[in-house]
Amino acid sequence: MMELKYSEVLKLNKELGNNLKSSSYDITVLSNIIVHQSKEMLEYSLRGEGINANVKFGDYDNIVQDSKKYQDSNSVIIFWELCNIIDGLQYKIELMNNNQLNELLEKTKIEIDLVMKNLEKTSLVLMNKFTSLSFSYSKIRKNNLDELASHINHYLEENLSENVRLVDIEKVIGSVGFTNSLDMRFFYSSKALYTIDFFKVYAQFVKPIFMSATGKVKKALIFDCDNTLWKGILGEDGFDNIEMSNLTNEGNIFAEIQSMALAINKQGILIGLCSKNNPDDVNEVINSHPDMQLKNDNITIKKINWRDKVSNLKEISAELNIGFDSLVFVDDSTFEVNLIREHLPGITVLQVPEKLYDYPALFRKNIGLFYNLSITEEDSKKVEMYKEQVKRETDKKEFTDIEDYLSSLELKITIFEDDESIIPRMSQITQKTNQFNLTTKRYTEGDIQNFINDPNSDVYAFSVADKFGESGVTGLCIVSDNSKAKWAEIDTLLMSCRIIGRNIEYAFMDYLIGKMKVKKKHILNAKYIKTQKNEQVKEFYDKCSFNLVEEDDSIRDYVFDINNYKSRKLNYIEVINE
Amino acid sequence: MNNKTEDRIKNVMSVVFDIPIGQINKDSSPDNIGSWDSLKHMNLVVALEEEYNIEFADDEILEMMNYSLIRNIIGEKI
Repeated sequence: MMELKYSEVLKLNKELGNNLKSSSYDITVLSNIIVHQSKEMLEYSLRGEGINANVKFGDYDNIVQDSKKYQDSNSVIIFWELCNIIDGLQYKIELMNNNQLNELLEKTKIEIDLVMKNLEKTSLVLMNKFTSLSFSYSKIRKNNLDELASHINHYLEENLSENVRLVDIEKVIGSVGFTNSLDMRFFYSSKALYTIDFFKVYAQFVKPIFMSATGKVKKALIFDCDNTLWKGILGEDGFDNIEMSNLTNEGNIFAEIQSMALAINKQGILIGLCSKNNPDDVNEVINSHPDMQLKNDNITIKKINWRDKVSNLKEISAELNIGFDSLVFVDDSTFEVNLIREHLPGITVLQVPEKLYDYPALFRKNIGLFYNLSITEEDSKKVEMYKEQVKRETDKKEFTDIEDYLSSLELKITIFEDDESIIPRMSQITQKTNQFNLTTKRYTEGDIQNFINDPNSDVYAFSVADKFGESGVTGLCIVSDNSKAKWAEIDTLLMSCRIIGRNIEYAFMDYLIGKMKVKKKHILNAKYIKTQKNEQVKEFYDKCSFNLVEEDDSIRDYVFDINNYKSRKLNYIEVINE
Repeated sequence: MNNKTEDRIKNVMSVVFDIPIGQINKDSSPDNIGSWDSLKHMNLVVALEEEYNIEFADDEILEMMNYSLIRNIIGEKI
């Protein structure tokens, strides 16, 4: 996007908008300065990722009032400019006494409280941190403007709600540079401070937050080996001559790449290898090269052979059970990079730059693709769990009858009802789960909290254990009912792909129907909402003997008389209520 | 000023104001282009500056209020 001219972005953004068929993702920008040029930059950067963003603006300098008016947007972004808290603050502030400064601080805190209260039910709020840089960057001593900014930021951080993400725009200003970030001409004539270049970088900077909120975050990082994880070609240069030590001139670059890969691996991102090499050679490096940081424990999947990489990546996607658009592949060869881009356009491909010293920066720039709205305990456990799954896949082959196999697993479901301690995880699985997801509604932590607080909603999360290990919280069902009526409705039902194929869904349905009977419900309503990825559950409710009452291209509506429910009586799955 | 330069200006105006290029003539101004408000005027200024790698002064920005004037001001700078 940086290489595009503003007029080109306007044009391309319009074309993208006409072509995107997905439902609109509404973003409202609230501000006390003019930031209208952020519209097309944000839209273009998000539409490029398949998010059909539509940006609109609140009235100028009406943040408090408009926060109420636009609270139903999918997301709200707040540009709250320090120097415009009161008109001309950038020059008035140095003449203020302590009392006046305190009053100003108090007034701003109260306004922030009001805004956050008004937006407490909004799924996602991006709040730019306050910055004094624009007007104080040349001042040596810490001054009133700096003090005020750091006080307000401190207050924001202390009072952060779960649905709010603070955006450090000093990083954006830093990467664009002052001269190119700020246009004083339009500031003094029209209260517009930031340039097109600023908005371009800002849009790129915040993009991962929206990708995460809409379930488009990347899940696995697949590396080629030669000149990607180490300097040199293993098959030609040999074990002793490849370099990835921080003590050698070019090896240090690969040491940095491996360390960064390790760090995101610890956050639950899967690492894989896809390389044309002799498997024994690569395994020798992994097992015994003193400088190799990525070990077998970190590497979930290996496709080391002489077949084409398209087939190998297809297998990786199938075996890990994650889509191409959740994969990032890194390779140094132009041939391979172009091959993958052509045949598997969904995969994000990073090419090791010719100027090797640019490689770590390229890597950092793309780490945002793996951004999680929240990092939970399950993330760090996930790597272990996928490994267990590969083990299970192997076990699976020995049984001829699937029921036989499932009985041998000693399956156990633990159900957590309205459990506040796992809100981050519950929100995260609504954002990440695509395949076994009946309605694909994405919820933030704030949304989940609201469901829990609502006496007319029940939130059931569940984890699955078998003799190999524990899946962590991998399933979620939200049911809304009206306490007075005889019916209830399934708002959300989803299961992570890690627990699919074990009939867990039917055992859970037994549990849910039991719950509904206790609550004296007679009718259960449910919906299947079609997406590009949830075809596999299209007929799930039919299999549960629900009645399909209405159907169009995208939605199937079901009504079900609870008294007609026939359990599958899966005696090999134990259900425990936590 | 050659035709190519004129086409470039018209192209930028067409994208910024979101109207067909054929609707832009020497008399085009905020009076006959509905979307040409003060915010869109800022967008036009920025887009033209990027297009020609030039910078407009304050008074030029205020003056650029129809196609002919814009063409003249740019003509002096390139």
